[in-house]
Amino acid sequence: MSRKLSGLRAWYVQRLSAAYITFYVLIAVISMLFNGTPTTYKSWATVWSSPLVSTMTLLFFTALLIHAWIGIRDVILDYVHPFGARLVVLSLFAVMLITSGLWVARVLFNAIN
Amino acid sequence: MMKFLIQRYNPEVDKAPYMQEYDLDVQPGMMLLDALLAIKEEHPDLGFRRSCQEGVCGSDGMNINGTNGLACITDLKNLKEPVEIRSLPGQPIIRDLIIDQGPFFKQYKAAKPWLITNDPDPEKERLQSPEDRDRLDGLYECILCACCSTSCPSFWWNPDKFMGPAALLQSARFIEDSRDDATEGRLDQLDNAYSLFRCHSIMNCVDVCPKELNPTKAIGTIRKRMLQKGI
Repeated sequence: MSRKLSGLRAWYVQRLSAAYITFYVLIAVISMLFNGTPTTYKSWATVWSSPLVSTMTLLFFTALLIHAWIGIRDVILDYVHPFGARLVVLSLFAVMLITSGLWVARVLFNAIN
Repeated sequence: MMKFLIQRYNPEVDKAPYMQEYDLDVQPGMMLLDALLAIKEEHPDLGFRRSCQEGVCGSDGMNINGTNGLACITDLKNLKEPVEIRSLPGQPIIRDLIIDQGPFFKQYKAAKPWLITNDPDPEKERLQSPEDRDRLDGLYECILCACCSTSCPSFWWNPDKFMGPAALLQSARFIEDSRDDATEGRLDQLDNAYSLFRCHSIMNCVDVCPKELNPTKAIGTIRKRMLQKGI
């Protein structure tokens, strides 16, 4: 396996992250079905303050962002061929995903504190 | 009477390929290739490849009513009229239904479709067990008609970098061969963003293969071997 996130490694990470995303969503839906959906900020903050939930959620968003990055990069490798256009589109998505990641981190850490 | 719309293109005269209409008296049991040969009797300038006429040589691959296949084993009675015939998609056209097979065979060559061994040649032959031989079933039968690779969007978009289903089937055929000593090198060569991993398993290749082979499964086998090697 190469060290870069390419070839087999990218393919494997794509599938692994998909499996975790599915697992997390299932757990989230089931737990909300049984425990009810938190309706106030306070009840949300209580849910996030559990170390298990916050760790799992952080891992979920990490998996989601990596999954999205590999997926969008695959689409771009297929369809966007000119070097300049590919660089611009890849950079745009990279910035978008990193911004989303930081935003998610901010929301989660605010809720925890 | 059966109506045919056939793609014509003469690069010396035409700017782009166009469809020309032909009517033909057809007999029961006729294959599409028989019809094309009958049309060619009347219009000798119609260009297409053919050789064995029984689905073994892989020369007459073409796009028939939107699906790639071999004209010689396509029964006319199963075709909707007008029968639209085009050259294999996504490939440079030399003339009419004849494509330039250069890009296709370049990828075939990249698969190194020959046995690579470290030992000196044995006196007679390299033996393998019947079980090892069985692993080659479904991989060695390819006739290189290019129906699969030219039905694959990934091959349309990146014909110079993505090897395509036909060449990858050959890669699998030699990776699975117990007598081959270059398995690691073959797997390393494929472990990049393009050669194999442009395959998104949409299985157009499986759908059109006239020999009913399964390149998607072969590509899956290669991925499995890569994983086994990596961990």
